[in-house]
Order: sequence, then structure tokens, then C-alpha cells
Amino acid sequence: MASLLIAGGRVIGSPQVGGGFAPPTDADVAMENGAIRDIGPGLSSDPADRVIDASGCLVVPGLIDPHVHLREPGGEHKETLETGGRAATAGGFTTVCCMPNTGPALDSPEMVGFIAHRAAATSACRIFTVAAATRGRRGDDVTEIGLLARAGAVGISDDGDCVASAAVMARVLAACRDAGLAFMQHCQETTMTRGASMHAGEVAARLGLTGWPRAAEEIIIERDVRLNAGIGSRYHVQHISSAGSVDIVRRARAAGRPVTAEASPHHLLLTHEACEDYDTAAKMNPPLRERADVDALRAGVADGTITVLATDHAPHAPQEKARPFEDAPFGIIGLETALPLYAEALVATGAIGWERLIELMTIEPARLCGLDRRGLGSLTVGGPGDVTVIDPEMEWTLDAACLAGMSRNTPFLGRRVRGRAVATIVGGMVRFEA
Amino acid sequence: MPYNAGVTRAAAPLVTPPTHASRTAPVPPAPWTRRHLLGLGGLTPAELRTLLSRAAELAAAGGADTLHGRTVATMFFEDSTRTRTSFTLAARRMGAEVVDLSAAASSVNKGETLIDTARTIRAMGVDAAVVRTRQAGAAAMIAAALDTEGGAACSVINAGDGKHEHPTQGLLDLLTIAEAHGRLGGLDLSGLRVVIVGDVASSRVARSAVAGLRALGAESVVVGPPALCPPGLSALGCRVARDFDAELPRADAVMMLRVQFERHETCPQGEGGKVGPAERTTAIGTAREYREFFGLSAARAALMKDDAVVLHPGPTNRGLEIESDVADGPRSRILRQVTLGVPVRMAALEACILV
Repeated sequence: MASLLIAGGRVIGSPQVGGGFAPPTDADVAMENGAIRDIGPGLSSDPADRVIDASGCLVVPGLIDPHVHLREPGGEHKETLETGGRAATAGGFTTVCCMPNTGPALDSPEMVGFIAHRAAATSACRIFTVAAATRGRRGDDVTEIGLLARAGAVGISDDGDCVASAAVMARVLAACRDAGLAFMQHCQETTMTRGASMHAGEVAARLGLTGWPRAAEEIIIERDVRLNAGIGSRYHVQHISSAGSVDIVRRARAAGRPVTAEASPHHLLLTHEACEDYDTAAKMNPPLRERADVDALRAGVADGTITVLATDHAPHAPQEKARPFEDAPFGIIGLETALPLYAEALVATGAIGWERLIELMTIEPARLCGLDRRGLGSLTVGGPGDVTVIDPEMEWTLDAACLAGMSRNTPFLGRRVRGRAVATIVGGMVRFEA
Repeated sequence: MPYNAGVTRAAAPLVTPPTHASRTAPVPPAPWTRRHLLGLGGLTPAELRTLLSRAAELAAAGGADTLHGRTVATMFFEDSTRTRTSFTLAARRMGAEVVDLSAAASSVNKGETLIDTARTIRAMGVDAAVVRTRQAGAAAMIAAALDTEGGAACSVINAGDGKHEHPTQGLLDLLTIAEAHGRLGGLDLSGLRVVIVGDVASSRVARSAVAGLRALGAESVVVGPPALCPPGLSALGCRVARDFDAELPRADAVMMLRVQFERHETCPQGEGGKVGPAERTTAIGTAREYREFFGLSAARAALMKDDAVVLHPGPTNRGLEIESDVADGPRSRILRQVTLGVPVRMAALEACILV
């Protein structure tokens, strides 16, 4: 297998005792046979078939997105593992975890095997499965969570739907604990969101749209934290959207509960005003909220309440998003655009630095999904050759040309951004170059 | 680009300065430059007065022949008899031909998009489409699609889009109030207070009325139970109140809204039409409780000022939001609203088609 040298970059991602990464160092990264052979200054390019000049760039572990919708099987007109893998590598991601809301749902060890098989055959990046918590994601019968874990599932979720029943939830949490998997909740009290298509606020009132209150998210987190108190499963809040939710997670973590939360680029940047003119590209679940929520989310990232960043990449076909607002599906694509958007929301605002941003996109999601045990999410000699080279200063415009997946549903097209993955290397193979 | 980029946005300044001067001086007709009438939000006072003064003329004249040779299509994707009939009569009395393409709604049910349906209608050479949809924003979406694609001009008149706007209803409400209070001259409603009661959250009628009233200088107060009249409605530019009795003595017009059971997300005892409207229990609690706090009874009507009038967009739930003796009583302008609806729609069709 080919060997590769990434020369002259600033390396972030050497694990350090105690959790975070060691301070960045100027070093080269040499890869051979799909693994990292050496990290250090002045490495010889001698055996390398290829040298990537990374001067001025950050050389980081391949980015990991623990929350994407790749639509296969059943929604192949929106995205597939192959096109989703292209979208991922174009955004600097080397590993993504796909959610189980497919048709049929990823609710059995056989379906987990199917994804692994299809991903190996078609995808440019690594794809792992977050398997369903209940059969058919119907919220009733708990899936074979122990067997799902053995089959390779890296998390459990009914994402797209909340596990509504508290009794079912308690059984799921206990099974996740025993299987060593995190449970990832889509926090939505659905009796409060019937017919709702955007945040309950001023804009919804004006547009004549049914509003989706913050409480619909918050009370599920409160309930689950309470339920989990006697169980002790790892509990993860997906796509957190409200200031109140951040407070609940902050309190739970301060009390030592095994609770984590993820934030998405759109919730860190946009507010419900993006839905003006009934722009369906801004229709999300959970919905875009208000300035104070955006600020609280950023503060939550800064103070360590929110430890994971995830795109919730949700592709839809143009004719689906061309429906009237109330009928259009929820969701936005995110893989290709996430990195500069996070940088804008979090680094440019001073909430965190690049080093922490990289942790939130690598080692933190790796730990959430147990991928750190496979050596993913950090740069170690002998570990997998998953590396992303980022030019943090590159200014560019998000446009259709940067979208490598199948769908185009994002309100960010035309946005001027800074920072880009310029090379994405998966298992020692260059899978994307800007 | 959003699909409806370029369409005039419904957002209006929080306070529209009333134009007191126009109260005495006759209003010169302002140029109307819009191809579509999608909502009253965002219309200038001058634009509103242009439509309303023309409607008043047409009400007196009974019609005109300015739309001779034109074709108007009615496309109602949601049931309506009175509004569709009103538009049909309005178009005919202006000399236009009318085709009803509401059956085209069946194509949408077969999976065709609203935009494709509208394209199809335009391809037949229709001058205006009168569109009613279940979904908010759909009329604007259709208008934007027709505008950006080029081809023959086709006006879109919003005849109600979900819970958003129903601009011709708003115009006829404004005209009825102006007439009742002798304001037809300058079409200035400043100093008047209009109390809108009931299911405001579900009401496109209320959204259009509040926008229009504000532009013409009147004050709007919305009254109802929290589930139907949440505090966030103040974003429309109105005051939100709970005590109907306290508002009645200061009202110049009271607009009773229909409780729209069909738009409520929860309707535990009302599903399947098994019980009559007066017995249903929904977001309003019970009919009995609703009637007690928000129904317009004769006793309540007696609290109103002598010259205050009662409006209702119809159809009424008699015995729920309004008692029969008020609906049929001397303050009621409910049938006058229906009458004025026709010239208002004549004016709207004429303005948009001949722009």
C-alpha cells in the first residue's frame, strides 16, 4: 500500500493523559499501509510515494460526525452511503455515524451488517451505524441492543423520533448501559409539536405557522436525566437547540451525571428569522430558535457543557423542499459546510480556539461512539491513517460546487466563510483534495 | 436562493404613522404596482386606500367592464363556497370570464406540486389565479414561481393561505368599518379601536385585518383564551387581552372570529364530526366555558358604544362565538361584509390584472 507524508503542518491531535489533546506542534505525519508510521519534525520523505505540503495548515485527526442521515436504504433519491461518503470527505470527515431512520429502519443486527457491507463497498469514508432503540422506531418494543452492539452499532437512537414512553425509555437506557453504548435522544415531546413547523415565537405568529416551543425539548431532557439517575447509562442529547436545554445539561453534568450534548452548525448560527419568506431550507427539527438560544449554545460549547459537534446532515430532494413550508420535510445538509460554519460560530467569536474545535469534532465524538477504542479521533503512531488537513485561513464561498453529496438543501449557499478542509485522508488514502 | 426571493415580505414597520391629513383631503389615487395580492402585511396605506376607494366606487356602480376578455381562474385547494362565489361574481361583473379549477386540487392530491399546478394554469393563458390553500405561504410561493419563470403574466390573488393571510377579507373588513364610521372619505381609521375576538392564532382573517387596521391608523386588540390567543400574537402589531367585557365599552368595532375546529391540532372529543360544534371540546376547553368568557351575547353587546358595530367573517358558529340575536341584530354588519366583499374583489382583480 502507498505511503504518504504530510509535511510542514501544525499537528493537533496527539492524545494526552487526562483527556484532551497535547498542545499543537509543528510536525510531519508519515503514513504507511493505511496507518500512521510516524509523527515528528523533519521526517524524511524518502519512502513516501506522495508528499502533501501542509504548510500554514492544521493537520488533525480525521473529523468524525456522530449524527448524519445517509438515507440508505429507502431514501436513495436523497443520498446514499456512496454520495454521503463523498459529502463527508469533501467536508473533512473521515468517519460518520448514520442514524437509523431509514426504510426499513436500522433496527436489527442484520441491518447493521448491511450498512457495514455497503459502506465498505461504496463509501469513501468510514461509516458506522447508530441503531434503533425500538423496532421500526415505533417506540414500543426494545430492539436487541446487546446484539446490535456486537454487530458493530456504535450508539442507540430512534432519531427523527423521540422515545416517548418513559417505561420504554427506562428499558432502553438499562440495555444501553449493559451494552456499553450511549443512548442518543431526539428530544421532542410530540404532544406539544403537532402540526408545528418552526420555533414558537414572533416569526411563527406573523407567518401563521404553528409554533414549536422550547419546552418540548427541555422536558424530555429533564425526564430522561431523572430516569437515568438510577440506571447510569451514557445519555446523549442530540441537536440541542434551546438555552433552557443547555442549562439542564449543565446542571446534570455538574452533578456528575453521564450526560453529553451535541450542537449543530445551524443552531449555532441561525435564528427563526431565517424562516421569513417561508424559506423551507431553514425548516429544521428541532427548529431554529432565537438569538439568546444561539448565544447560550455557544456559551455551552465554551464552558464544556456541549462537548460534541454534529451536523445532523439531512438531505432532501428539491421537489420535497419545494413544497409549502408546512408540508416540506425538516432538515438541512451539513457535511460539506460544517467546518467553516463551526469556525465562524465558535472560533471567530472567541468562544473556543481551533484546538478545542478539533477535539469537539474528533476525540469527543469518538468517545461518545466508542470509536476511540479503534484508534479513531486522535493521531497516534500505529493508529489508523485518518487525517484531515485544514487551511484555517482560506476564505471561500459556500456554493453548489462545494456540495459533493446528492442534495442541495441548505440556507448557507452564497455565504462567505473562512477555513476549509483541503485534504481528507482515510486509512492512508487521499479521498478528497480541495 | 429562497423560492420566493423577491416577493415583497409581509413584515411591516412596527408603527405605521397615521396620515391624519388624508382624513379631510380627498385621496389622490396612488399608482398600484403589484401584480399579486398576497397579503395586507407590507402594503402601504396609500396602496390600501387605492384598493378601498376603487372598491367603494365599484360598490356604487355595481361593476365595470375593465376586465372584458380576461380570464380568471379560481383554484381552491381548501373548501370554500362563499369566497369562491364572491370572487366569481366579482370577476363576472368586471367583464371577465371565470373558470373554476378547484378540481385541479385533485392533481395535487395525485402528487403534483402546487407550483406545477399553477404553471399548468398559466400555460392555458389565464390572467389571474385566485388561490386558496391549506398551507401558509403557498400563494406567495406560487406567485414567486410564476414570476421567476417568465412567460405570460399571471396575477395571483391570495384567497386564504393556511393561518397566514386572507387579504380580500381584510379589505372588506376595513371597508365595512370605514363605512360604518363615516370614514369612506379619507379612508383614515385613526382613533378607532377594533377588538378581534376568539381563535386569533388560527385566523388568517385576523392577520390580514390587524395589518390593514394598523396601516390605516386604527388600533387592534385581540381577545381570547390563551390557547387561541397566545401572547406572542403581539408580534402582529396588536394588543393581546383576556377580558372581553373590559374591552367592549371602548370598542368601535368587534370582529368575532369563527372557532376553527378543523385547524386545531388537538380535538379530543370533536373528531369524526360525531358531536355538534357547540358540544365539542378542543383547545378552547369546553364550548360552555368559551361561550361564557368570549361569546358575544346580547347582554355583552349592550356594553358596546352606541355606534359600535359587529363583524364576523362567517360562517358563524351560532350559539358559540356569537348569539343569533346579535348576529341578526342592529349592530351586525355581517351581511354588509358579504355584500362589500364583491366590489373589494373586483377592485383587487382589476388592480392586479391591469397593473
